[in-house]
Amino acid sequence: MAQTRSSSKLVWDIAAYAVLIVLGFLCVFPLVWTFLTSIKVEEDIVTREMVYFPTRFTFDWYVRLWNQSGYPVLVMNSLITTSVTVLICLATGSIAAYSFSRFNFAGRTQLMLGYLVVRMFPAVLMIIPLFIVMRNFGLLDSSWGLAVAYTSFLLPLFVWMLKGFFDAAPKELESAARIDGSTRIGAMFRIVVPIARNGLVATCVFVAIAAWNEYLFALMLTTSQGSRTWPVGLQLMVGEFQLPWGMLAAGGIISIIPVIVLFALVQRVMVAGITAGAVKG
Amino acid sequence: MSRVAAASPPPRSVWDSLNPVRLLGELSETRYWMYLLLLPSALLITAVVLYPTVYGFQMSFHEMRLNRPALGTGFVGLKHYARMVSDPIFWTSLVNTAAWVTSSIILEFLVGLIAALALNRNLPGTKVLAVLILIPYFLPNVVAGHMWALMLDPRLGVINDVLVRIGWLESYKAWFADPTTAMGAAIVVEVWHSFPFFTLLIMAGLKGIPADLYKAADIDGAGAFSQLRLITLPMLKTIIAAAVILRVIGLVNSPDLLLILTSGGPGRSTQVLSLYAFQTAYKDFNFGYAGALSVVMFVLLMGFAYIYIRLSKVNQD
Amino acid sequence: MTTRFDRRSVLKLGGGLLAASALTPITGAFAQSKSINYWHTFTSQSEAAGLESVMALFKAAHPDIAVTPENIPNPEFMAKITAAVVANTRPSVTMVSSERFQDLLAMGALTDITDRVANWERRSDFSDQRFDSITADGKVYGVPGFAFVDWIYYRKDWFEEAGIAVPTTLAELYDAAVKLTDPSANRYGFALRGGPGGQNFIINMMEAFGAKLIQADGSISLDREKAIAGLTFYSDLAKNAAPSSAPNDGFRQIIEGFQTGQTAMVYHHTGSYQDIASKLEPGVQFGTMAVPTGPVNRVARLAYAYNTITKAEDADAAWEWIKFWGEPDAAVAFLEKTGYFPASTTAAADQRIAGNPMYAAASETLGFGIPQPSFPGAAGWAEGTVLPAFQRILIGQATPEQAADEIIAGLAEATQ
Repeated sequence: MAQTRSSSKLVWDIAAYAVLIVLGFLCVFPLVWTFLTSIKVEEDIVTREMVYFPTRFTFDWYVRLWNQSGYPVLVMNSLITTSVTVLICLATGSIAAYSFSRFNFAGRTQLMLGYLVVRMFPAVLMIIPLFIVMRNFGLLDSSWGLAVAYTSFLLPLFVWMLKGFFDAAPKELESAARIDGSTRIGAMFRIVVPIARNGLVATCVFVAIAAWNEYLFALMLTTSQGSRTWPVGLQLMVGEFQLPWGMLAAGGIISIIPVIVLFALVQRVMVAGITAGAVKG
Repeated sequence: MSRVAAASPPPRSVWDSLNPVRLLGELSETRYWMYLLLLPSALLITAVVLYPTVYGFQMSFHEMRLNRPALGTGFVGLKHYARMVSDPIFWTSLVNTAAWVTSSIILEFLVGLIAALALNRNLPGTKVLAVLILIPYFLPNVVAGHMWALMLDPRLGVINDVLVRIGWLESYKAWFADPTTAMGAAIVVEVWHSFPFFTLLIMAGLKGIPADLYKAADIDGAGAFSQLRLITLPMLKTIIAAAVILRVIGLVNSPDLLLILTSGGPGRSTQVLSLYAFQTAYKDFNFGYAGALSVVMFVLLMGFAYIYIRLSKVNQD
Repeated sequence: MTTRFDRRSVLKLGGGLLAASALTPITGAFAQSKSINYWHTFTSQSEAAGLESVMALFKAAHPDIAVTPENIPNPEFMAKITAAVVANTRPSVTMVSSERFQDLLAMGALTDITDRVANWERRSDFSDQRFDSITADGKVYGVPGFAFVDWIYYRKDWFEEAGIAVPTTLAELYDAAVKLTDPSANRYGFALRGGPGGQNFIINMMEAFGAKLIQADGSISLDREKAIAGLTFYSDLAKNAAPSSAPNDGFRQIIEGFQTGQTAMVYHHTGSYQDIASKLEPGVQFGTMAVPTGPVNRVARLAYAYNTITKAEDADAAWEWIKFWGEPDAAVAFLEKTGYFPASTTAAADQRIAGNPMYAAASETLGFGIPQPSFPGAAGWAEGTVLPAFQRILIGQATPEQAADEIIAGLAEATQ
C-alpha cells in the first residue's frame, strides 16, 4: 500500500526540505549577521559601503564587554534567577497541571481560566504594586524576588502548557496502575510524569528561556549590580551618547550560547522521550 | 506529656504515620486531593498577582497623577473610562493593536505549523535545521529588536543593501519612517521572533498523535490536506488553543519590541495599547488613566479568551 | 501622670542622643563609614571613566563616605525613579536633568537644600543662572554637576567646496541645507531628528519663531500662528533637506548619518563631540557652530545635569558628594574624560576650553543659551504629543495647522 503513495510522499519530502532550508536560512541569517558584526571593526560597521565579509577581524568587542560591563556577574545573576524560577514552577505548577488534566471537579474550568486570567493584566501596571509587595517581603533587588515576580506570568504558562502534555498521555495506564493498588500520587509520579517527560522538559525550557530573556520586570525590580540580569545590562549599553553596535552584537552572541546549549540537550530528551510506541503502551 | 508519648506507640509506627511519602499517598486518596494539588500554585499566584491586580483596578477609578499632587488621589468613578471614549489616541491604539495582534498571530501560527509539519517528517539531516529554526524564539526582545533595527537601518542595513542589489529597491528604504511599512516591518520582526513558539508546541503535540490514525487514513485514501484537517488539527486542539491564547496575551501586553523599534511612531502609526499605557504611566505619570487603559486591555483579553475557548471547545470532555 | 513623665523623659533622652550623634560625625570616635547610593544615567565608556575619576578624588577627600553608583538606563529612568518614590525605596542621591526637575519635584522626590547651597563655600563659583532650572518658589533642590551645551556640527569641507558661509540665521541654515542636498548622491543638508528624542528640537523651532511656552506671567500656552510658522519651517527643512528616514531617526541615526557622510549638519550638544571626532577630522572635515538665530528668538539650550538629594536620611553624606562635583579638581577631571562642560563658571573659564577653537561655539553659546522650558508634565507632553504630531506632518498625515492644534490641545490636557 505504501508504494502506491510513494511518489506523493517524495513530493512532500522535497517540499519539506525546501521549506526547512528556506526557514532555516531566514532564522539564522540575523544571527550570522550579528556574529559578523561582533567581529567587525567599527569602521566596517558604521560605513557607507556595506561590508559583507570583513577582511579585518577583532575580538575587541568581546574583551571590552567582558572586562568593562560586569557581564560575567550579569550572566551569573540571570542563571540564578532562571534556575529559581524553574524550580518554583516545577514544584508548584506540575502538580497543578496534573490536577487540571486528570480530575473533573467542581470549579475546574473556572479555576483554569483563573490561572489564565491572572496573566492578562498588563505587566506595565502590575509593576508598581508588585514593587510594594516585594519591598514588604524584603525581596526587592534580589534574584529570589525577581524569580517570584516571574512566576506571576510564567506559572500560568507552565500550568497550561503542561496540562496539554498531560492530556496527551493516555489515562488507561494510570487506571491500570490504580487497579494494581497504586495510590493516586504513586500513579502520578510512576506513570504519568515519566510518560509526559519530554513535555515536562519542553515546558521547563520555555519557562527558563522566558525568565532568561525577561526585560521589563528585571529593569523595574532590580537596581544594583548584584541582582541585575543581562538583558538590562545589555540595554544599558545602548546609551544616549554612544553607538555600541559591536558590543551589543557581542553581548547578544554570548547571551544566547547557554540557551543553545540548553536547547541541544532538550532535543536529545525529546528524541528519546515519548514516541508513538510509548503512547500506545 | 513526654512520658506518655514515649510510652505509648512503638517507634516504627510513629515513623510510619509520619512518613511523608505514605502520608501523601493517603492524602492523595481523599476527595480533596485535586484541590490540594492546586493549593501551592494558587497561593503563590494570589500573593504575587492578585494584590497587584486589585490595586491596578482601584487605580483606574481614582485620580492618580504623580506630578500633580494638588489633584489628590480621590475617587473619580468612571472619569477615566469616559475620557477614553473621546480620546483619539486610544482608538488609534485599539485599531493598531487589533492589526498588530491579528496579523502576527495568523502568520506565526501558519509559519509555525508548516515548520512543525515539515520537521515532523523526520527526514535525514533535518535535526540540525530544527535547532536553527527554533533559535529565534530563544532571543530576548532586547537582542532581536536591536539586531533587526541594525539590519533594517536606512544607512547601515544589510537588508536594504541586499534588496537594492537584487533590484527590488532603488535606494535604501527607511522602513520604520514610513507609516505604510512601519507596522509591516515590525510584524515581520515579531513573526520571525515568535513563530518557533508554535513550531515547538505543535511538534511536541504531533509526537503524541498515534501513527495508527495516519495509517488508517492512508488506507482510506485520505490525502495530505484531509489528514491535516481531519486528524492533525483536531488532535492538536488543546495545544493550539493554549498556544494561541498565550501568544495573544503576550502580544497585547508586552510593549518591548515596538518600544525598541518604533516607540509607536511615525505619527502613532504603530502606537498600540500596551505602549500607550506604558507611556501614560511612566512618561505622563497619570496612573489613573494608565490603570483604566490596562483594565480595558484586560477586559478585551478576557473576552477574547472566553469566546475563543467557547469556539474551539477546548474544555469539552 | 507617670506615663506622661516617662514618655517625656524618654523623648528627652532620645533627643539628647540625636543631638549628640549630630554633633559628633566626621570627628574621631564616631567616624564610622557612611554609605550612600547614587543613581545616574552615565552609560558610555567615557562617562563611566569620568565618574570613576570623580569618585576616586572623592574617596581621597572623604574616606568615611562610601558611594555606590547605580546606573539606570536613560529611557527608563523616570519609570524607575517613579517606582522608587511610590514604594519609598529612594536612592540617596539622584542625577536629574533639567527637563525632569518639575516632575520629580511634584512627585515629592526631592529635598530642599536652599540653606546648604546658600552657605556653600563654592557658591560664588557659579553664576545664579546655573541654579535657575533646579529652583522652584525660591527653593533650591540641587547642584549643577556639568553642562550640556547645544550646538551644530557641520561638514566644513562640504561648506567650503560649495562656497557657503557658516549660517548665522535659520533662513541661511535652510538655504545651505537645501543647497547641499542631492538625493541622487544620497547626500542631505540636515540630519533631522524626527524620531525618539526629537521633541525638544521641535519645541526649540517653535520658540525660535516666537512661540514661547512659558509666558511672562508664568502661565503656559502656545501662540498658534507662531507655532505653525515654526512647524512649517522645520517640516519644510525635513522635506527638502533631510533623509527620508527622518521620522524614525533618533540620536544614533542622526550621528551615524553625519559620521558616514550622508548629512551635512547635525544639531546636538557638546556631549557627542568625541563620537564625531572619532570618525571625522575636527577643524578639517567638520566644524562646530553656535545655533543660528531664528526670526524672533535665538534658541540654544544650556542644560545642566543636577545632583539632588532624594533621601532625607542620608542628607549629610549626600551633600558632601553632590557639592564635590563643584570642586575645580573634580570638574576638570570629569571634563578631561568626557568633554562635558563644567557647570562652575570658574572652571568653564579654564584655558583648555577657552583656548580650543573647536569649543569656541560652545563658549559663545554659554553667553546666550537659555534653559529648557520646564513645568510638570512638560516631558510627557513633548514626547507624547509634540513628537507624534510633528511626525504626522512629515509622513503627510497632517498639515502644520492640524499639528499645531493637536500640540496646543495636548498642552491644555497636560497642564489642566
